[in-house]
Amino acid sequence: MAVIETEALTKRYGDLEALVDLTVQVSTGVTGLVGANGAGKSTLLKILLGLLQPTSGSAAVLGHDIRRDGSSIRAVVGYMPEHDCLPPDVRAIDFIVHMGRVSGLPPAAARERAADVLRHVGLAEERYRLMGAYSTGMKQRAKLAQALVHDPRLVLLDEPTNGLDPEAREDMIALVARIGRDFGIPVLVTSHLLGELERVSDHVIVLDGGRLLRSQRTTELTQDTGVLLVEVLGSALEQRRVGEALAAAGLPCRPRQQLIEIDLRSTARGAAPHDVIRDTACDLGVGLVRLQPEHGRIQDVFQPEGRSGG
Amino acid sequence: MAEPGASREGPGSSVIHDIGYRTYDGPRRDDRSIGWSLYLTGLAHAYGFGRSAKAKALPLSMLALSLVPAVIIVAIMVVAGFGGNFVDYSTYSGSTFVLIVVFTAGQSPVLFTRDLRSGAIVLYLARPLSPTWFAVVRWASLVSAIFIFTVIPVLALYAGALAAEADVSEQSADLLQAVAGLVVLAAVLATVSGLVSAFTLRRGLAVGAVIVALLVSNGFVSAVKTLAAAQGNDLLGQWVGLFSPFTLVDGLNAGLLDGTPFYPLSPDTPWMTAVYAATVTVVLVAGLWLLVRRYHQQGTR
Repeated sequence: MAVIETEALTKRYGDLEALVDLTVQVSTGVTGLVGANGAGKSTLLKILLGLLQPTSGSAAVLGHDIRRDGSSIRAVVGYMPEHDCLPPDVRAIDFIVHMGRVSGLPPAAARERAADVLRHVGLAEERYRLMGAYSTGMKQRAKLAQALVHDPRLVLLDEPTNGLDPEAREDMIALVARIGRDFGIPVLVTSHLLGELERVSDHVIVLDGGRLLRSQRTTELTQDTGVLLVEVLGSALEQRRVGEALAAAGLPCRPRQQLIEIDLRSTARGAAPHDVIRDTACDLGVGLVRLQPEHGRIQDVFQPEGRSGG
Repeated sequence: MAEPGASREGPGSSVIHDIGYRTYDGPRRDDRSIGWSLYLTGLAHAYGFGRSAKAKALPLSMLALSLVPAVIIVAIMVVAGFGGNFVDYSTYSGSTFVLIVVFTAGQSPVLFTRDLRSGAIVLYLARPLSPTWFAVVRWASLVSAIFIFTVIPVLALYAGALAAEADVSEQSADLLQAVAGLVVLAAVLATVSGLVSAFTLRRGLAVGAVIVALLVSNGFVSAVKTLAAAQGNDLLGQWVGLFSPFTLVDGLNAGLLDGTPFYPLSPDTPWMTAVYAATVTVVLVAGLWLLVRRYHQQGTR
């Protein structure tokens, strides 16, 4: 079932096109919304919340029209903004309870759920501290907690890993995965770090300059590219010798830095390229370090055709 | 040796069970209930409740200071047995106006600068309540906070007068008239200070700007009024009274509700009273409209 559907969604600020003719569907699970800074990710989230009116096109969130039903959408959607948004002189527990109340929860339920979600995001011990004294990682967790306190039917997370150190980044990514899988809440999460969402998202939407570049399952993006990478022991000379021998044996190959890239997609049917490589290395007396099938990466979407990888 | 798990379940210790994520299927409140909750939290925050310990210092000490004259007057009334004529409810806010200014200047940024400064406004606008209602509710919290600040000493005076066996019906009529004036004063002060705070993104600057707006305007207007009174230029004195919240509400209170004016040259004709009433209305309507517009702009950024 689609939780978000957009149809030819366009947003212009004067001459600047923030979103152009975007038609896309988001279903349950974790969906990554990736693109460079300024690709239109935050604009899309604000339009989906009913805070910004699109210039043209339409969209529905959980069946509610974004132009008419903004308030109904905001009652059942959790939103974690990119930038700082926590008052420093309030304790986390008080603030999350308050945010539950202004989302429509009765007082007792707000208190209970606030304690629950703070525990889930890992702020059980620190919940009675003023948020002004929180580290960046703790602030991000508190921001996530306020997006979950009213048991939303969908969460929109805008750059949740922004400003975090590598360890805190891993924790946040794991939390996002938990929300989508264990909590069963559909997640639309943005990041300008393309590789980051590969591991957690079931589906990836790639925006570039406000236009849809790609929308497909993550596994389709990250499956084998059909290229085999070979590394041999020795200097560039050995590498060249092996490369030339492989080419002579009928394998289409070319050097890529210290590796030899073999395009298996254009080898003849019935050929056994792995055997050919082994025998070639053996004949030349060169040590094989590795034979590695290349996987696709989200970054590759941005590369011009025929120049995949680095 | 005990098994690793056994020690955790020994006597006097407990085990934390992770019961997983729990959904919420209960009722969800409507906008009215959400607004009420936001209003109460705003009011509590204006007095520092629900915030850091430091945040309570200014509002509560100002409230205590503004009670001091009332307590002294009550003590004199009760001990010396003075009757009710000793106190005038409608001029009390005039004599403690500096404290009211400091309270208003200190607390209006809490309701109108803090959300914008910390970015919490984004979270509020991503909630069901519309920006219009958010602005109105924040304004209502500030009006109530200022009203409570000004009415508590007056209620103390009233209680003291009753304790000194003053005439209940006479005192109650005076009190009601004074309270009506305080409601208008709170609304005008909240509108002016809320506007200044909502357009100032630093709390310190907002405090200073509100003090300047209220104190300087009042100083200027009361000086001109005193000069005009000395020279017998009543009309100038009445017109200039429109330019400070305190003299404006004091004049309206005297002209419309027949209260005792604190400042000289309050309106003495129905026409002038109507000008005062119209000015108060324009300030409230225009101020609220600007506040609402400010929050609408925040949502689309």
